Amino acid sequence: MTRYLLRRAPSALIVLWLASVLIFLVIRAIPGDAAAAMAGPDASPEAIAAIRHDLGLDLPVVTQYLDWLGGLFSGDLGRSYLIGGDIADLVGEGFANTLTLTLSALLIAVLVALLLGPLWAATSNRWVDRVLTGFHTAAVALPPFVTGVVLIIVFGVIFRLLPTGGVPPKGMFDRLDITVQYLALPAVCLALPVAGVLTGFLAETLRGELRQDYVTTVQAAGVKRREIVVRHAMRGALPVAITTLGLQTGALLGGAVLVESIFSWPGLGLLVEQGITRRDYPVVQVLLMLSVAVFVLVQLVTDIVHAALDPRIRLGAQT
Amino acid sequence: MNPPSRRQALKAAAAAVLLLAATACQSAVDAQTSPAGPAAAPKQGGVAEIGVNLDLVPANLFTNSNVSITTVVGLVYDTLVRYDNKTLEPKPRVATEWKQSDGGKTVTLKLRTDVKYHSGRTLTSADVKFALGNYADPKWNGQLISTAKTITAIDTPAPDQVVLHLEHPVSNLFDLLDTVPLVDSETAADIATGKKLIGTGAFKFDSWRPNTDLTFSKNPAYWGGAPYLDGVHVRVIPDAQSLAAAVKSGQVHLARGVGYRDAEALASTPGLKVTSLEGAELQAYVGLNVTAPGLEDPKVRQAIAYALDKERIIKEVFRDKGYPVSLPWPRTSPAYDQELDSRYKHDVTKAKALLAESGKQLPEIPLTYVGNDQVFTAIAQIIQNNLAEVGIKVALTPVDSTGFVKQLIGAQFPGLWTTNHSWAQFSPATLTVSAYPFNARRNASKYSSPAYTTAADNAWKLQSVTGPEATAAYKELSTQLLDGAFLAEIGVVFEQAVTRDALQGFEWSRRREPDFSKAFVA
Repeated sequence: MTRYLLRRAPSALIVLWLASVLIFLVIRAIPGDAAAAMAGPDASPEAIAAIRHDLGLDLPVVTQYLDWLGGLFSGDLGRSYLIGGDIADLVGEGFANTLTLTLSALLIAVLVALLLGPLWAATSNRWVDRVLTGFHTAAVALPPFVTGVVLIIVFGVIFRLLPTGGVPPKGMFDRLDITVQYLALPAVCLALPVAGVLTGFLAETLRGELRQDYVTTVQAAGVKRREIVVRHAMRGALPVAITTLGLQTGALLGGAVLVESIFSWPGLGLLVEQGITRRDYPVVQVLLMLSVAVFVLVQLVTDIVHAALDPRIRLGAQT
Repeated sequence: MNPPSRRQALKAAAAAVLLLAATACQSAVDAQTSPAGPAAAPKQGGVAEIGVNLDLVPANLFTNSNVSITTVVGLVYDTLVRYDNKTLEPKPRVATEWKQSDGGKTVTLKLRTDVKYHSGRTLTSADVKFALGNYADPKWNGQLISTAKTITAIDTPAPDQVVLHLEHPVSNLFDLLDTVPLVDSETAADIATGKKLIGTGAFKFDSWRPNTDLTFSKNPAYWGGAPYLDGVHVRVIPDAQSLAAAVKSGQVHLARGVGYRDAEALASTPGLKVTSLEGAELQAYVGLNVTAPGLEDPKVRQAIAYALDKERIIKEVFRDKGYPVSLPWPRTSPAYDQELDSRYKHDVTKAKALLAESGKQLPEIPLTYVGNDQVFTAIAQIIQNNLAEVGIKVALTPVDSTGFVKQLIGAQFPGLWTTNHSWAQFSPATLTVSAYPFNARRNASKYSSPAYTTAADNAWKLQSVTGPEATAAYKELSTQLLDGAFLAEIGVVFEQAVTRDALQGFEWSRRREPDFSKAFVA
């Protein structure tokens, strides 16, 4: 097993190194640089040159790359050009906020699907079916920038029930009831498409289960339809729905970029968007590098688990 | 009556818990919202909530380049003098008196003795010397660095006296003294990281959460009297519609960075007021690269200036929150001359005649602008339409804001560009020595003319911004700008600040810095 790991590790390291070179060069290929972004339209070339010097952007590209790589190895992620703070702190805070938002959205999506999926599958009422079909279509079809604005107008402006955006002024952990109110609109906005997909999928799977022979048997025994759906059919449908949920989690993270911008939610999405727009190279480099590292790590762990479970893979790698 | 079943009891208990939770919860909206009301007597306490569309860039603190920066500077820092928003007559602030001598080459300033930094230290002449020297460091990209560099020496004969020695007299010295924030020398190194921002202003900087918010608390020891407000909370709301919704719903008292169309719509909402920041004007313009094919001919450039339908742009894009001009000067500027300013009125016939005179076959000219800026996207389309009317074909070239700034500073625009500039609301010389598009010696248009350079220098080296000598110098400068036509002005426009009625006593500086020292939440 150790041998297998030693054989797999170099390729992972090569992928990481190639990614670091690619990320470093691609970001610098975008027209405009951080010094220009910082200086503003009335700046003189002398001022730009001074800023470039201050940021180390006048050093040879290879030196800049090696400095960055050296920093990564020593655990120093560097400093943001524009925000000025430690990137480790920025990424840490952004990650915590994005995680809070996506987990809340995931929870809402799952609850909605668990509530509406069985109802849709079991209903014989035409109106309920129409309403749920409408919800499913709207939730899946409407992009977050439309639902986000609608939610803000309805709950933030017309009824003034919930904050239109931002995070609690005294932090996430000061007052849970306040935090929930700030989370509500962005989390619902992010959850809607996933809730739509999950509800539709769960309902369809349940309908398939309800056509099974064992359901007829249970019905003949006098068990109520609601109980059949909840206690019996769900058992067969849930594993498939969980697989879909896993796939939708990726979409949830992708959608977070847009939702964070609409609701001024300071997560990783907003950080990436601002980093790219303002050419904050160190921030974007670290965020992209982290994504690659997570991907490589997941691949490596998956391969190791497969190798542990299947000796043929382990032995095949040795020959 | 039958006793309730276990299920019914559980349902009742759950409903009770939910009801209790709902009543125990404080509304996050109520916590932020203050009811709007008519003009009222000043009231102590409360926190003013401000929404801004851009976050702070601490390294840009001296550039006045975005709403967060101007908000921070306006709250935390003082300056030596302050112009009001109608005249260029300096009013005392930290400096109480001043005297010019040696033909304007020496300026002696008397300082207040009761000004304290937020750290508790008393401000002295040494701090003024430090602040002016720090501002002249190119890394801060201070807009008035040329003027700061004319100060060859600063003497501090007493803690409340500063003597500035200049290389030559400059007409915009008080622009510099109105602009330079009096930063604390002991913590100046922390400015670039945004960790410590210590000034002498009405509010102390407490914290900054990047991409989230900035918080400030009142400075009870403020020399101008403790502010009414307990604090100011600035929220970063990048999405334009969310920003408009935040002020409409009462979750912020002041929104900065709202678009012109949104501001127009919000103006009719009860409880909201939209204010044009008069005195802090911006100018929309079209720049011309005078080395681009066809644009090297002044007649072609003048034809373009005539072809622009400025009235339409001001009306349709800026929703009449401004006025068309041919020159950069706002009506309050000492350089404003109504006759000269009316030169390039929309005149298709004249534009066509000038193009015929030039006899040039013009290629398609690229027009560069910031693509995600709705205002300049609309302006670019109108310009394309205007120039097509006179037979000039324009190719629209949207770029992102960073790429745009790089092309502007690197003088890399292949043809035309459109954006806005500032600083014409100050002494006229400030524009031609400090704003890069107008810089007589090196500018984005690649325009050079000995006559323009002389006119710019003459306007700069005046001892006073007013008087017959100044008027003559400005007239010559304006004539050179009109004849050279390397920048075609569109109009003077005003930033729109949307406020709730509850926020009263809000003022602003010529650099669009908010002044909350006398503001209160009614």
